[in-house]
Amino acid sequence: MSDAPARKARPVKLNTINQPVDAYKGGPSSLCPGCGHDQISSVIIKAAWENGIEPHRIAKMSGIGCSSKTPAYYLGQSHGFNTVHGRMPSVTTGAAAVNGDLTYLGVSGDGDSASIGIGQLIHAIRRNLDMVYIVENNGVYGLTKGQYSATAEVGSKKKKGRPNEQTPIDLCALAINLGCTFVARSFSGSKKQLTALLKAAMAHKGFALIDVISPCVTFNNNDESYRSYGYVKENEVTLHMPDYIPQRLPIEEVEVPDGHYVDITLHDGSTIRLETIDAEHDPSDAVAALSALHKADSEHHHVTGLLYFDGTQPTMHEVLNLPEAALIDLESAQLRPSEAALESVISAFRDG
Amino acid sequence: MDAIVNDFTINIATANGTGSQSANLILLQSLFNMGIEVSGKNLFPSNISGLPTWYIVRLSDAGYQAPGDRTHIQVLVNPATWEDDLAQLEPGTVVVWNSDAKKPMDREDVISYPVPMTKMARGVNAKLARMIANVIYVGVLAELLGIDESAVVEAIGKQFKGKASAIELNTTAFHLGRDHAREHLTKEDPYAVAARGSNEGRFFMEGNEAAALGSIFGGVQMLAWYPITPSSSLAEGIIGWIPELRTNEDGEATCAVVQAEDELAAAGMVIGAGWAGARGMTATSGPGISLMQEFIGLAYFAEVPCVFWDVNRVGPSTGLPTRTQQSDLQMLYEGSHGDTQHIVLVPGTVEECFEFGWRAFDVSERFQTPVFGLSDLDLGMNRWPCEGFTYPDVPMDRGKVIRERDIFEAMEEFGRYRDVDGDGIPYRTLPGSGMAPILYRGTGHDEYGVYSEKAHIYLDLMDRLRRKIDGARDHLPAPILREEEECDVGIVYFGSMENTIQEIDDIIEAQGRKVSQCRVRSLPLHSEIEAFCARHKTVIVLEINRDGQLWGIMRRELPNHLVDRVHSVAYSDGMPPRASIYAERIMATIEEVEA
Repeated sequence: MSDAPARKARPVKLNTINQPVDAYKGGPSSLCPGCGHDQISSVIIKAAWENGIEPHRIAKMSGIGCSSKTPAYYLGQSHGFNTVHGRMPSVTTGAAAVNGDLTYLGVSGDGDSASIGIGQLIHAIRRNLDMVYIVENNGVYGLTKGQYSATAEVGSKKKKGRPNEQTPIDLCALAINLGCTFVARSFSGSKKQLTALLKAAMAHKGFALIDVISPCVTFNNNDESYRSYGYVKENEVTLHMPDYIPQRLPIEEVEVPDGHYVDITLHDGSTIRLETIDAEHDPSDAVAALSALHKADSEHHHVTGLLYFDGTQPTMHEVLNLPEAALIDLESAQLRPSEAALESVISAFRDG
Repeated sequence: MDAIVNDFTINIATANGTGSQSANLILLQSLFNMGIEVSGKNLFPSNISGLPTWYIVRLSDAGYQAPGDRTHIQVLVNPATWEDDLAQLEPGTVVVWNSDAKKPMDREDVISYPVPMTKMARGVNAKLARMIANVIYVGVLAELLGIDESAVVEAIGKQFKGKASAIELNTTAFHLGRDHAREHLTKEDPYAVAARGSNEGRFFMEGNEAAALGSIFGGVQMLAWYPITPSSSLAEGIIGWIPELRTNEDGEATCAVVQAEDELAAAGMVIGAGWAGARGMTATSGPGISLMQEFIGLAYFAEVPCVFWDVNRVGPSTGLPTRTQQSDLQMLYEGSHGDTQHIVLVPGTVEECFEFGWRAFDVSERFQTPVFGLSDLDLGMNRWPCEGFTYPDVPMDRGKVIRERDIFEAMEEFGRYRDVDGDGIPYRTLPGSGMAPILYRGTGHDEYGVYSEKAHIYLDLMDRLRRKIDGARDHLPAPILREEEECDVGIVYFGSMENTIQEIDDIIEAQGRKVSQCRVRSLPLHSEIEAFCARHKTVIVLEINRDGQLWGIMRRELPNHLVDRVHSVAYSDGMPPRASIYAERIMATIEEVEA
C-alpha cells in the first residue's frame, strides 16, 4: 500500500464487452416501495455492468426471505438458485466445486445469515469459497411481518410488543474473527460506496462478505432503531471509500478522487483503491478493524467501507486440487475409468 | 461321535479396541482361503475402546450367510460379558476360554477348553498382550477344527499387508495357540472343517466399499459428506480410490470432495453440484437423511439430479447406531414435506452395491430427481463373498441436458419445465451456458420457471412430476423372481434379506411348504411386482423393521383387488436377521391366512 497524490484522469470506459446495461437488469420488484433492497439490486446491476462480466457467467444465489427474492429483479440473463432458508452457502459450495469459472453472487438477509444459516455462512467463510455474499441487513423478518432478527440491536422496538433485549450479532466482526478474506460494510443508500465495494468484491478471489444496512421501510423504520433509514443517514461514519479499477484499464484513465488513498492489489491482479477518510485504518489489520467496529457500535454508529482484506489465502477451489477446466466440462472418458482399470482393481482384490 | 463338518457357528466375545477385529478377520479369511462357505458378522458397540463386541463366524456348506440360531463354539475373552455369554449357551457347546480372566467356568454341561491366553501373550510381548491373546485363540481354534496352517499364514499376510513386524508377531502368537492346543487340550467336540472349492475367483468385500467403487465408475464429480456410522466407509472408500482411478495426468482430482459441516450442508452441496451440471452424491444414514429432508424436497420440486446413499442403521432417533435394520425405506420414498415421491435403488448383494453405485447417477440425471441408494449396516459393513464386478454395460446417461447452442436454437420453444416429449421429463440448460437462464426455486413455478401461485399451473406441475416418477418404474432394476410352479404363496422382500432368504426358504420347504420369492430392487414398484402378486394367492412381505414399510407402500399402490392378499412379516431386534425367526413367522401367517 502506498500514498500517492491525486492525478488528473480521463473518464473510464466501463463495460469493455459492449453489453448494454439492460442486459444486466431483471424483472420488476415485488418488495415494498422504498425498500433498501431494491437500491442494492440496482447497485448489483450497475457493478456487474461496470465490471464488464458477461451476464450469463454470473450465478445468482440466495436463500429465503425478502432479500433472497431479489435475484429475480436483477441479472435476468444469469442462471440463479433461490435455495432454502439459510442454506445458500452449501448449494454454492457444490456448484463452485464443479464449476469454478462463474462469478457466484449470493444475496441473503439477516435472518437467513445470522440465524438459521449462520453455520453455513461460517463454514463457507472457513473454506474461503470464492463468492460474493451480500447480507441485506435490516434487523427484522419482513415476510413473516416484523419479528426481530439476530442482528436487531438491544432496545430496538417493533411497532407492537416488547423491545428486543438480546445482544445483536455483528456479522462483520464474526467474519473478521473467522479470517474472512474480504469484509465490508455499507448502506443501501450509499450507492457510490456500495458500487465500488461490490465491484471489488466481485474481483476478489475468495469469500467477500458485504454487510449492507438496508432499512426495512415497513417493519423497522422507527427512528429509535439504529437501522432505520433516517437513523443511518445521520449516524453513518465512512471508513474507506473504495474505487475499483479493472485490470485491463490503465490506471491513468481513472478519475482519482481528491485526497489520500491506498491501493490494494487483488488476487486476480486488479486493484482496488480506497479513499481513506480515516487514514489510520489499515485493512490488513484485523484488530484495527474489530476496534473500529467496536468503537462504532459503542457510539451507535456504523463504520462503513472495506474493513478487512487478505488476498493471500487460497480459495476452496485451489485447496481441492481440481483441474483447470471446470469438472462439468469433463467428458465421460475422463470420469469413468476404463474396463481395464476395473479388471486390475478386481485382480488386486483376488490376489491381495 | 460323528463329526460335524463346515456347519456350525462360532461366537467370539471380546472387548472393543483390543485388536480382536484383526484376529477375527484372520479367522474368517483363513476359512475362506480353504474354499469354505463362511460369513462373518461384527456386532460392535458405539464406542472406540472398552465396550463389549462379538464376532459371529458361521460355516455353512449350504452357503447360508445369516448367523445361525445358536452358538456351537463360544470363545470367551471378555470378562465384562462372561456370565451372560456363558449363561446363554446350550448344553454341549464348546467353550474356548481365557483361564487368566479370573472368571469362573461354572458350567458342567459344556465342552471346556481352558487356555491361559494372557500369560501366553505376555510371554511374547507384555505391552501388546491384550492384542496377542486374540490371535492365540485363532491358533487354538485352528488346531481344534483342523484349519490349514497355510490358509492362516496367507490370511495373516493379507490382513497386515507388507507390515513385516505385525506379520511376524501375529504368526508367532498363532503358533503359540496352535501348539498349546496340540499339547494341552484333548479334543472332545465333533466340530471340524474340511477344504472345499467354493471360493475360486471370489474375494471378500464390504457393501460400502463396493458402492464406493461403483460410484467412482459412475463418474461421481462431487462428494459431499458428513461422518456417520455406518456410512463413513462408503465416503472414505471413494476418497481412497481417487488417487488411483480419478486423478488426471497433472495429478489433479476429477472428483471434488468436501467434508461438510453437517448433513444439511452435504445435501446442499450435492444439489449445487447437480444444478451446475455435475454428478454429485453424499453418503449418510437415517439421522442424516432426516436432516436432509428439506433439501430433498427442493431437489424434487426444482428437478435437480443428486444421489444419496443411506446405509440404514437402527432407529428411531440415534437408535442403535451400530446395529442393522431396514427402516428408512418409507422415509426415502416419501421424503420431505408436501406430496413427493422418490426413486430408491435397493441392492441386496455387494455386486449390486457396485452396479447401483454407477447406475444411480444415470437414473438421477435421466429423471432429473433425487435418487437414493438404500443399503444397511449388515450389507455395508460386513464382509461378503464377491464374484467380481461387471463393467457398466451402457454409456453414461446424462439425460436431457442441452450443452450445445445449435441444439438449443433448433428447439421450438424452450421452457425449463415444459413437457416436450410427453414423458414428464423436461429439458435443462446449465448455469454459465447463457441458454434460457432461469432462477431455480423451491416455490411454485410455471413451465418457464417463473414464480406462480395459479391453481392450474400448480396442478399441472404436480401432475407432471407424478407422471415423471411413475414413468421411471420400469426403467429401474426389475425384481429378481424365483418362482415355484403351482405355488400359492409368494414372499416379497428387499435388500440384505437376500442373504437370509435361501435359508428361510429351506426351513419352510423342510416343513412341506413351497413358496415363491420376489426381491424388490427399486421404488417406485416395478410392474412385475404387481404381476407377481397377481400370480400368488397369498403374498407375504418380509422386512427387517417393526411396521412393514414396504408392505405399507404395496398396500397403497397395488390395485384394490390385490391389496387383501398382501400380508406383513416384519421383525427387527437390531441383530442381523436369523432365518428361523422369519421362517416361523411366515409359517404362522400362512396358517392364519389359510384358516
